[in-house]
Amino acid sequence: MLNELLKKWRGTKTTSSQAAKKRLKFAIVYDNLEVSDDILDALKGDIIEVISRYFEIDTKSISLDIDRSEESSSLVLNTPILSAIRR
Amino acid sequence: MDGKVIVITSGKGGVGKTTATASIGAALAKDGKKVVVVDMDIGLRNLDVVMGLENRVVFNIVDVVRGKCRVSQAAIKDRKIDNLFLIPASQSDNKNSVTPEEMVLVCKDLKNEFDFILMDCPAGIEQGFENAVAGADEAVVICTPEVSSIRDADRIIGLLYAKKITPKLIVNRIIPAMVEKGDMLSHEDVVDVLSIELIGLVEMDDQVIVATNTGSSLVMNKESKAGMAFTRIAMRLNGQPGLPIEIPRTQVGLFKKLGRRIGISR
Ligand SMILES: Nc1ncnc2c1ncn2[C@@H]1O[C@H](COP(=O)(O)OP(=O)(O)O)[C@@H](O)[C@H]1O
Ligand SMILES: [Mg+2]
Repeated sequence: MLNELLKKWRGTKTTSSQAAKKRLKFAIVYDNLEVSDDILDALKGDIIEVISRYFEIDTKSISLDIDRSEESSSLVLNTPILSAIRR
Repeated sequence: MDGKVIVITSGKGGVGKTTATASIGAALAKDGKKVVVVDMDIGLRNLDVVMGLENRVVFNIVDVVRGKCRVSQAAIKDRKIDNLFLIPASQSDNKNSVTPEEMVLVCKDLKNEFDFILMDCPAGIEQGFENAVAGADEAVVICTPEVSSIRDADRIIGLLYAKKITPKLIVNRIIPAMVEKGDMLSHEDVVDVLSIELIGLVEMDDQVIVATNTGSSLVMNKESKAGMAFTRIAMRLNGQPGLPIEIPRTQVGLFKKLGRRIGISR
């Protein structure tokens, strides 16, 4: 009780449960961002189909990855364009 | 009869699924409902010993699925509590011996004969989980206030949502003194992380082990805080959803009470 009061006043030291909560939230966010290779492959197929309507691309050298950092995640697509399709 | 199938699940093992299934089942039956608890941990049967019925096992759930016996032959009557029945798991088969489609059919049969059907789910997210969940109308997810258990619960909750089931949460094995010291996640923390509806808080209780030693029912012991918590959970599942949830706390002295009042202590 006195300890808690002191802790409240000082307000600095984090308890192990606070650490646990922080780690948990991060782990769960991270888990939810994990995408299986199957899904990534399916997405790649769909993207190639759409892009091919506008550009001629080398479908072999297209890359699609998920980049993770501590702060955020992003989907990175990289493909050389051979030519635009005129219409 | 038009019974309700509730699966008790967790992802992680050893968090209290079997204890909860036996206790909630017993409490519902004491309240006059006709209840069957089904051990879906095929190959690792346990609910029979927890309930003290291991000597009476003749048929099991795999026999029921295969049509080797009728439900009424496989369902073992509890020794003390009327209206409480157990369908044990098979010990010699494995989790792939039955399919989710078969379980849906068995659940339909059970719903004709019982008010509540509680499925004790095995750990993991493989076929055993799929079988236990297949025929379920509702789900209860159990976790302990520990990082690994909560993370696994989150995964299970996601899988249940994908099956159009909105689960409810039990936090088990709470140690109030540790929570108050800041060394155990509080139930508020757990609910905040998992964001699902809470239906009960169960504290760490030596009586759980005493009850399993003798194969007697925890909810018959009025001294057991865990037993009382499971009784209240059963009431919430049985038409009293608004029953307040009691928060496990340490015995309090005057100063602590004062502290709680003015909001500087848990
Ligand atoms: N509230 C509790 N207090 C003390 N011990 C508990 C409590 N809940 C479960 N246990 C113990 O924890 C162990 C695992 O419980 P069990 O119900 O078998 O988990 P699961 O079915 O999820 O694997 C058992 O030894 C049980 O007696
Ligand atoms: Mg179990």
